[in-house]
Amino acid sequence: MAGSLVTAIPLVPFAAFLVALLVGHYAPRALPRGGALPGIAATAISLVLSVWAFLTVGAGGATISRVWTWVPAATDSFALTFGVLVDPLSALMVVIVSGVSLLVHVFSLGYMNDEGETGLPRYYAGLGLFTASMLAFALASNLLQAFVFFELVGFCSWWLIGHWFREEGPASAAKKAFLVTRFGDYFLLVGLVGVLGTFGTAAFAGAESFPALAHAALEGEASVNTFGVDPATWFTTLGLLILGGVIGKSAQFPLQTWLPDAMEGPTPVSALIHAATMVAAGVYLVARLYGFYALTPTVLTVIALVGGFTALFAATMALVKREIKQVLAYSTISQYGYIMLGLGSGGYVAGVFHLLTHATFKALLFLGAGAVIIAMHHDEDMWKMGGLKERMPTVYWAFLSGSLALAGIVPFAGFWSKDAVLHHALTVGLGGQPLVLVAYLMGLVAVAFTGFYTFRMVFLTFHGEPRSETARNADTASANMRVPVAILGVLAAVVGLVNVDPLKGVVGERLLFLERWLNGPLPGIAGATAEHYHELVVDVAGFHGATVSPVVSAVVSLVFALAGVALAWTWYHVPEPVEKTDALGPAKTILYNNYYQDEFQTWLATGVTEPLANAVDVFDASVVDGVVNGVSSTSLVASDRLRRVQTGVVTTYTTQLVFGLVVLLLIVLLLGGWF
Amino acid sequence: MVPLQYYLLFSAAMFCIGVFGVLARRNALVYLMSVELMLNAANVVFVASSAQYGTISGQVFSLFTMALAAAEVAVGVGIVLVAYRKFKDIDITKPTSMRW
Repeated sequence: MAGSLVTAIPLVPFAAFLVALLVGHYAPRALPRGGALPGIAATAISLVLSVWAFLTVGAGGATISRVWTWVPAATDSFALTFGVLVDPLSALMVVIVSGVSLLVHVFSLGYMNDEGETGLPRYYAGLGLFTASMLAFALASNLLQAFVFFELVGFCSWWLIGHWFREEGPASAAKKAFLVTRFGDYFLLVGLVGVLGTFGTAAFAGAESFPALAHAALEGEASVNTFGVDPATWFTTLGLLILGGVIGKSAQFPLQTWLPDAMEGPTPVSALIHAATMVAAGVYLVARLYGFYALTPTVLTVIALVGGFTALFAATMALVKREIKQVLAYSTISQYGYIMLGLGSGGYVAGVFHLLTHATFKALLFLGAGAVIIAMHHDEDMWKMGGLKERMPTVYWAFLSGSLALAGIVPFAGFWSKDAVLHHALTVGLGGQPLVLVAYLMGLVAVAFTGFYTFRMVFLTFHGEPRSETARNADTASANMRVPVAILGVLAAVVGLVNVDPLKGVVGERLLFLERWLNGPLPGIAGATAEHYHELVVDVAGFHGATVSPVVSAVVSLVFALAGVALAWTWYHVPEPVEKTDALGPAKTILYNNYYQDEFQTWLATGVTEPLANAVDVFDASVVDGVVNGVSSTSLVASDRLRRVQTGVVTTYTTQLVFGLVVLLLIVLLLGGWF
Repeated sequence: MVPLQYYLLFSAAMFCIGVFGVLARRNALVYLMSVELMLNAANVVFVASSAQYGTISGQVFSLFTMALAAAEVAVGVGIVLVAYRKFKDIDITKPTSMRW
């Protein structure tokens, strides 16, 4: 009973997808509000069921169940199955996904329907399929199922970015997002095959899961097929392969270039897919596989370094952007860098915590930006805004709450989670992991940049005097946009209080709700708890934390954040702001052009791959085709000569027969020794 | 009793006459009769060997050959009739269109 209700969490939005698609195609008039209402109803049901699953897990009801066997187990082989894994992590994730999805559906009423957009059934069908796939991904019980839905959310991302596919920009951005993430997914696919070949199972949790088997193999208690390689090395290889998919999907360096372009899609889509949920799929996969990653210190260090570097790298680019959604896109990349930094330095709870708070405040910021963009009649240039505070106060206050959360100002959400991440990285870095310390320092510098670009955005958009006619006459936001933004605004202010990590020593463990939640205990599922992961990180990976007071670490990063905010205040909180970052000179051009990464990747394609492909093509056309064509033309000429044997006259054939008979007779007689 | 060698020589002669007919004659009916000659040359060897070695199987095979020959003639004469309708002739070198 319980299992089937959990299965319904992704199936209900899937039904909404079918309704929007089929009714929208065959009887569009019968579909109220372009399919928004079925979507809202479905996500609301999913949210209720998710909360119910969350409460069930809280009451000790974590379960794994098998839903469908795709390929049954044969002799010397293994089964491929689809199942549902309900544990603290996945229960938390489905609540986030269905909650954000519901708010985005409501917001879309204002952003899409009220603006008279066309193709609404297609839009809502995409949202429904995305929500269904993302929920199924979060509930996946094994890596194969996760991979299938990982691809499906990527497909939905392509679908929704390209919603306005008749324009060149969105169509091209959709293709780019699809191809770049797919490049990472190839590594994930190879890693998945490697996992199945090594362990014979891809299950995430339980005594027979592959993280458990890998642990046992490292302890010498179980043997797995490592293809003749040392187990530790082999597991590191597998971990890095799976990480390829994570880096593509979570837009980490060097595969982050697709995310800013993905902002061509409708803004509610950016909020749902490219900020709160789909991009989270990558880091969620790391958290899901934490029992495996915690065994491989090399991969953990790589995750931390990639995360720390991406956090800083993306933040520098966000400093100079002119479009509000571009700033948010780079801040998304940067924030996912923090989550990776937290997970990579062994801070499972910190990483998941930042995933939760980021989903809240970034969905808020994108929806707020969406309201601003509607008010500005789709002009996204912040230099043409200004003074919008007076026109849309609700959106302003909510946006400010989200910005304070993003900048990490106490007591808003981002402060608690970002400082949990940084504190964890600092302790592990000082505890004998210099590379993690490097990642921490990059993350710390990025905090100041975050504070600066966030408040540059806030001041340019909402403060000062309107700098264009559109901004002077900006529309006020409609209720169906204000309500989701307001809800998220309140959440962004308070959600950090679920885990007041920096005050650990002051208030005691009792108030760390998230940590206690993730710690379990989990009767029935072995080893999916934060406590177990922590033991692995310390005992197997050897990440020992030095003792650093969390309060000190928090104060340090708060000072950095406030410094960034103060700089933005002095430069942009003036009636007539000018672009101060122009002082950077050529460096600004480099930042504004994203370090020319797109140009570099284009050069890789046109300057390296294309000549190589041309050379191979010449070889193919001359040598390979030459041999094949030579064989065929030889046989054509030969057969043209030979067919003249066929005269059509019976006597000729008889003569040939008799001639053959005589030759045979002669051979027999000669071999028989008659002559 | 006539020794087996005579039968074999007789059979070889018959076969060669048949081969000559098949190679040299143009009349379709004669062509068919030449084929009959070759078949019956084989029959002679079957029956002679059967008598020589006192087993019945050679004679049984000759019966099969006769049945086969009858069937072959039925088909062959049918073809000859069709060829005659088509070409107003039964010269086997005339129909030469059945080729590439």
